Amino acid sequence: MTSNEDFGFLRPPSNDNEDCEQIYRAPSYYNPLETFKLPLGGERHYKQQYGDMYFLRLARLKPAVEEVAIAAWDGLTIAGEHARRVDRVLDVRQGELCWMAGTVYMDMPLKPNILVDLTKENFTSAPAPRPTYTDPSDPSSTQIMLEDESGRLRLTGTFLSSTHLVTGAIIAVLGTENSNGDFEVIDIKVPDLPLQPPRWERDGGAPTDTQGKGSVEGSGKIAFVSGLGITGTSSDTLSLELLTDYLLGYTGLGSEEDEISANASKITRLVIAGNSLGAPVTTEPAPGSKPIQKKYGYDASAYNALPINQLDNFLAEILPSIPVTLMPGDQDPANFSLPQQGIHRAMFPRARAYCAPPAPGGDKQEPGWFDSVTNPWEGDVEGWRLWGCSGQNVDDVLRYLDFAGDDENSETDNSEGRMQIMQAMLRWRCGVPTAPDTLWSYPFQEVDPFVLEACPHIFFAGSQPSFKTTLIEDIAPLSLNGGDTEMTDNGNNSPTRVRLLSIPRFQKTGELVLVDTETLEVEVVRFGAFAGQEEKK
Amino acid sequence: MDYKMYLAENVLNERRTVTYRALSRALKVHATKAKQMLYEFHRNENAKKPQSVHATYVISGFQKPAVSETPVTNGHAKDEDEVMQSSPYLPSSMPNQDAPPESPRVMSIIIAREEDLEDAKSTFHSISKIHVYSLQPTVLQDLNTLTDVCREIATAHAQDDPLECGAQWGMIQNRNVKRRTGARPPPPAAKPKSEPVAPKDKPEPTLPTKRPLQMKEATPQPTSESESQSSSKPAAKTAPKREKSNLFSSFAKAKPKQKTSTPTQSTEPSQDGQFYHDDRSYPSSHITVVLDDASEEEQEELFPESGDKSASANRESKKDREDKLKQMMEDEDADDEEMPDADEEPEREPTPVEQPPPPKPAELKEEVTVQGGRRRGKRQVMKKRTVKDEEGYLVTREEPSWESFSEDEPAPLKKKPAVNVPKGKGPKAGQGNIMSFFGKK
Repeated sequence: MTSNEDFGFLRPPSNDNEDCEQIYRAPSYYNPLETFKLPLGGERHYKQQYGDMYFLRLARLKPAVEEVAIAAWDGLTIAGEHARRVDRVLDVRQGELCWMAGTVYMDMPLKPNILVDLTKENFTSAPAPRPTYTDPSDPSSTQIMLEDESGRLRLTGTFLSSTHLVTGAIIAVLGTENSNGDFEVIDIKVPDLPLQPPRWERDGGAPTDTQGKGSVEGSGKIAFVSGLGITGTSSDTLSLELLTDYLLGYTGLGSEEDEISANASKITRLVIAGNSLGAPVTTEPAPGSKPIQKKYGYDASAYNALPINQLDNFLAEILPSIPVTLMPGDQDPANFSLPQQGIHRAMFPRARAYCAPPAPGGDKQEPGWFDSVTNPWEGDVEGWRLWGCSGQNVDDVLRYLDFAGDDENSETDNSEGRMQIMQAMLRWRCGVPTAPDTLWSYPFQEVDPFVLEACPHIFFAGSQPSFKTTLIEDIAPLSLNGGDTEMTDNGNNSPTRVRLLSIPRFQKTGELVLVDTETLEVEVVRFGAFAGQEEKK
Repeated sequence: MDYKMYLAENVLNERRTVTYRALSRALKVHATKAKQMLYEFHRNENAKKPQSVHATYVISGFQKPAVSETPVTNGHAKDEDEVMQSSPYLPSSMPNQDAPPESPRVMSIIIAREEDLEDAKSTFHSISKIHVYSLQPTVLQDLNTLTDVCREIATAHAQDDPLECGAQWGMIQNRNVKRRTGARPPPPAAKPKSEPVAPKDKPEPTLPTKRPLQMKEATPQPTSESESQSSSKPAAKTAPKREKSNLFSSFAKAKPKQKTSTPTQSTEPSQDGQFYHDDRSYPSSHITVVLDDASEEEQEELFPESGDKSASANRESKKDREDKLKQMMEDEDADDEEMPDADEEPEREPTPVEQPPPPKPAELKEEVTVQGGRRRGKRQVMKKRTVKDEEGYLVTREEPSWESFSEDEPAPLKKKPAVNVPKGKGPKAGQGNIMSFFGKK
């Protein structure tokens, strides 16, 4: 090794006790929203009907989609027939060109159906996960319907085969009712992107104090990771240790002179998007062993604390240097139905020192340095609005859709399809459209929190098979369709830009996603071990 | 220099794996310095005697794209793009679809063995850093064993406050850290944590590199014990008695409050004792645990040489975990209410209580005698008893009562009619039993 290749480390230590320069991490501006926080304890009821959620969603999104539809279809005439607006789906007259708005409902052969389960007296605690709800051998068995408070109307037409719809999306359809009583669809409109708040909207403008020189020094980074899959055994990959070293700056990429952008000290916050644990916290009894005595409450022999302890250690190690937002995922010890509430801090005996103190009463508390948040979660980081889920929403929507050729070839991870789904969710203005139909959900009564009230700047989904990103850019809508002033959703002239992130499982890929806080550019840092000759032996 | 001594001792003599973070924490030096120290040591030792020290390196930089993957994914992306272009629910995204697909920069941080270093470097087209990650006396068969080394560091140095020492180690500092004061887990909590790690790697004696580092941290007595233990490990089949006493003595150190009248050779009394000590308020969960122990112990005695070490270690860590969890629960803020124990009571057959309650009702006793491979004994349990008082109210009291059990029962929880047994009965068999430990003076 020649001296000019020593990279600063492959050389003997210098004897002088020069102090290594201290590196400080840029501050993080963090302002979470509590959109998905459920009422505590006795306030949380499960007796309500889920139908209210659809009603709320339709009531909220119908005006938006009608606005889009009016812009497109108002005054439209096809073959001399004027397209009429119909208020309720039951008011459609046969043979008349018309359009109306409603909620999509999909009837699919393999979709879990509570009524079927009930009639078969088949009570399972959770439906077995299915790769898809469609029946590839018989695509016609999938029925798409449009419903509103008055009734349902079956949609048909070749147009539908070229589009992708899922239960719960609010759309407007244009067409006529045919002799079978089905509605022949000619065109579809969706609510499209909601209004995007300007950066720093909720924080009263960009911070300008001396600490806020992040923009002067250059931009910071928000780090996203998902699916850490900690098991607590030695089967955990070394990647996690490398990740820890990297985040703490030990890897040597933290020093200021590094012109490369993957500078760990630039990372202002780590967002963990679900599935931090890889092993269940309860252990199955070994087959052949004695039947376990029924014990009261917590059973030490059936509880495997290693994964959560190891996660706690990981968090406690990085928290002194970097603030963390932790979202639960479907494998984490939180409630299963969406919105999942944050993993309780009692699970983290070491890391919880960095939590926000428990709020006395119901006051709004300052977010903690270590914030165990809900899934999905919405909040402002560095002024940008983030909306993310640990991946259940995308996975479930994917079960409704049949992306060409993916059924035969399960090797493909559908990353492009997943991107399209995420984009579609934004345009449907609904982050979790398939709840409460096929994703378990809390029965909301007052408001449907899954409706996107504001367009996020970063929209992410965790636990995806591979990394993928897109930037959606909507120039302020051009008035192609007749110059409607109502279409100026983007009050300011800046285009709506949304960064879509599909965050891969760290355990599989070893990838950490960095998003630049100024440009929203994305980088990936990949950790891994080099499989050399030793493994090949 | 100091670090040469440390490395010579740990890597060459003790044949451990030392990572730069371990060195950095042990010597309280900056991580950069530690990496350089490892490099220097590696170079010097191998100059003296080749192949005496092996290193792993961390390479960071930008890797060349993997040839095999790229065309496949591109092809698919293209296909799906075409399909999706026709989907009408994305009207305004259409113009963007034609934009070239973004390929974000991917930086790689890869760990590689010394032997593979050149191969690994050849996969990079630009390298920004290389540093020594760890030194070990042999080639690492499995890089994942480094994970365990890292965890041992974490447990061994759990007492160091990262907020104070972080600067010394070269951690990126953060001025805005908010930490609740007083919520930091007390050092005693860290001590049991280090315990389960130590035995964890015992079942794999083929990996001398995984020897726990935190032995240095332990109290003097266990250190010497375990030191001799680890040095005798290559000989295999160490005397189980000795190990047990080691375990026991470490407990005796950790819990000075318990009545360590006569340290017997068995581990069980100490463990039970620990339970009694910690779990005054959980009489019911108590019994089941103790029973489990008893049955496990019997199994253990049947096969004294086959992995009883790991068995006891597992149990040990399990208990530690349970302890910690309980402690955690108790620490936790007031919104968690303790479940009333009464829920379990209907499962038991109410038995008449014949023994007057002793002054300390929560202190439960157990007596065990072993006869011909069977363990019989009596133990004191808390019973619910409902009586009608003078005013005609039904009053439920918790009272301790004695009941006997016998080990050959398939379901040890099944209750037998309680029998009065005088306290303080001496031990019968030569086996170390619980009485010898708990016997009242």
